Amino acid sequence: MYGGGYIFDEPNRVQQREEQLHDDPEKLAAFEMRIANGEKIEPGDWMPAEYRRQLIRLIEQHAHSEIIGALPEGTWITRAPGFKRKLALIAKVQDEIGHGQLLYNAAETLGKSREAMINDLLSGKSKYSNVFNYPAETWADVTVIGFLIDAAAIVNQVANAKGSYGPYCRALDRICYEESFHLKQGHDAFIELATGTPDQKAMLQDALNRWWQPIMHFFGPPDKASSHSEKLMQWKVKMASNDDMRNQFLDAYVPKIQELGLTLPDPLLKKNEETGRWEYSDPDWDLFFEVIKGNGPCNKERLDVRKWAEEHGRWIRKALMKPGTFERQALPVA
Amino acid sequence: MNDSLDPRVNRLTLNKTDDPFKVEEGENWNVFEVFHQEKRGAHHEHVGCVHAPDAGLALVFAKEQYGRRKKCVNLWVVRSADILAFNQEDEDMFANNLEKTYRDASGFKVMEKINKFKAKAK
Amino acid sequence: MLVDQLLKELITKMGDDELIIGHRNSEWTGLGPVMEEDIAFSSMAQDKIGHAWALYRILHEELGGENPDQFAFMRSEKDFKCCHLTEMPIGSYDFSLMRHFLFDHAEAVRYNSLLQSSFTPLQLLARKVRGELKYHTLHADAWIIQLCKAGEESYLKMQEALNNCFQLACGIFEPGPNDAMLAAENIYPGEEVLYEQWIEHISPVLTKAALDLPERKQPVFGGRSGKHTKHLQPLLNEMGEVFRLNPEAIW
Repeated sequence: MYGGGYIFDEPNRVQQREEQLHDDPEKLAAFEMRIANGEKIEPGDWMPAEYRRQLIRLIEQHAHSEIIGALPEGTWITRAPGFKRKLALIAKVQDEIGHGQLLYNAAETLGKSREAMINDLLSGKSKYSNVFNYPAETWADVTVIGFLIDAAAIVNQVANAKGSYGPYCRALDRICYEESFHLKQGHDAFIELATGTPDQKAMLQDALNRWWQPIMHFFGPPDKASSHSEKLMQWKVKMASNDDMRNQFLDAYVPKIQELGLTLPDPLLKKNEETGRWEYSDPDWDLFFEVIKGNGPCNKERLDVRKWAEEHGRWIRKALMKPGTFERQALPVA
Repeated sequence: MNDSLDPRVNRLTLNKTDDPFKVEEGENWNVFEVFHQEKRGAHHEHVGCVHAPDAGLALVFAKEQYGRRKKCVNLWVVRSADILAFNQEDEDMFANNLEKTYRDASGFKVMEKINKFKAKAK
Repeated sequence: MLVDQLLKELITKMGDDELIIGHRNSEWTGLGPVMEEDIAFSSMAQDKIGHAWALYRILHEELGGENPDQFAFMRSEKDFKCCHLTEMPIGSYDFSLMRHFLFDHAEAVRYNSLLQSSFTPLQLLARKVRGELKYHTLHADAWIIQLCKAGEESYLKMQEALNNCFQLACGIFEPGPNDAMLAAENIYPGEEVLYEQWIEHISPVLTKAALDLPERKQPVFGGRSGKHTKHLQPLLNEMGEVFRLNPEAIW
């Protein structure tokens, strides 16, 4: 699962000029022609330095979002009610780790090691989707995440799967297939609460109210035109605008929420039938940027837990850097 | 005890200091490519890779990462470093393949000749 | 019927072992030492919970037991018959790996014996899970041997984990008062036979890993009669927290 819209590096002007000087214009033209023709770029191929840098950043953030995304839902692994929900939740969180694994592999083909990416996550240098910095307070939160955050992630990932970088697209094909299971099981658990006892329904409505703003933040800040972003669109790194994806999500899922008799905490939310666009209250973007900076309710815990996992797994990873090299000395025979 | 909503996390002893923790290069071991066989008799197809200390554990890991869903009867693993491939620039070596119709059934118009022969015989 | 009662006892302790160790091992999901292992260990935890579910279904469908969800999520501590090994917190990964190695070989030996069981549902289940258990023991063996051959630090950790786990693991084979009757009915061979087979299975792996098998001094018994460690009650409270909000509701 992933989101946060597209947040790309604004390239340092001097660096960019340097790189452009190094990007052979003939090769660049051939590269852009390939992409325009719908061909995929593969790891060993020539590519502009800026393309490589932005892709690493994009795929790495996506990978981090998967392994950090495993934590809010993991909160309920030991408490999921009933065998079916228990197994489905473990399997789902496991899939998130699996997606992280696939995505780190894809990013590694661009020349950054998995170790370096993990270090940048732990140090805060590299970001992950903001939505995972919010707490999963009740069981109903798990169903909201499983249904709506996964649905939003699918909108994003289906768009990205049509991008230009082969390894990323192949990873996304597999991920989208598994996400369809997540969405289905999330929707199923969501419906069960929505149509259950009054307490269950109240629990769900409360979770929905709390998650609505993070969901509106999910696709990232509103689009602003920049030549930088046009280049990324041309190179098929950025596949759709944040606002378009948000609109697509609202179009598909607001009716699915409302048909269950649930409400959304935004009085201005409605579709403008003339323009086909959804209108809504502006979600608090200052808060969004505060959370990105590390000041959300769970940023610290998420990274501390990730650090714990890396720290406590270290002896195993280090031991096996030299597998098969140790022989126990025979015990002295008296 | 940590102040988390996750009881699992509350059982961990988290290091809450801001001390940096760095994973060393090589700690995630080597990369192995994984090939998946869907049914007996089918080709093994490349599906991705795993990080593992050796081929034995690579196979153990591949089984769950690439064989836990859908049909699978066997897997191969091979060190990525052992794979040799052509460069993209060398793609032109294959460029004339389709022109060499003498290698292809479509290059031989048997029916045309038979029909011509039959028409002549009438 | 007496045999039914004996079967219920056998299946309950088997299912409880599987549920509790599966629950424990699932706590590692998302926190494992490396992503690939995280995924593998999680799958096996799911398998264990799946086995518990299958066993409780046999109780429910064949032996008049409760609905599996009610049975798993509502029972009180004293009615659980799991052994103490399964109840222990996950500790560090060496402990969890060693527990997995010892438990999964015991489980494999047990299901292997059930392939000949006169009680058909158990025989069918044993056939069904055979492949899964093959992977579980393959995974456990690979890790134990690898870590013991990788360096002194990891070797010593594994020996210590074995020392810590072994008496607890012997508790898997706590003999029951009716083992002889179950054996006479050809349902399963009884705990002592399984214990011997288990030692036979783990010994070659331990030899390869150069680990010393501790002496069987004080096997930790009690779980089969409903006496548990202090860790089980909090685990059950946690596991049932949502379910118990409304046990009649559908979640």
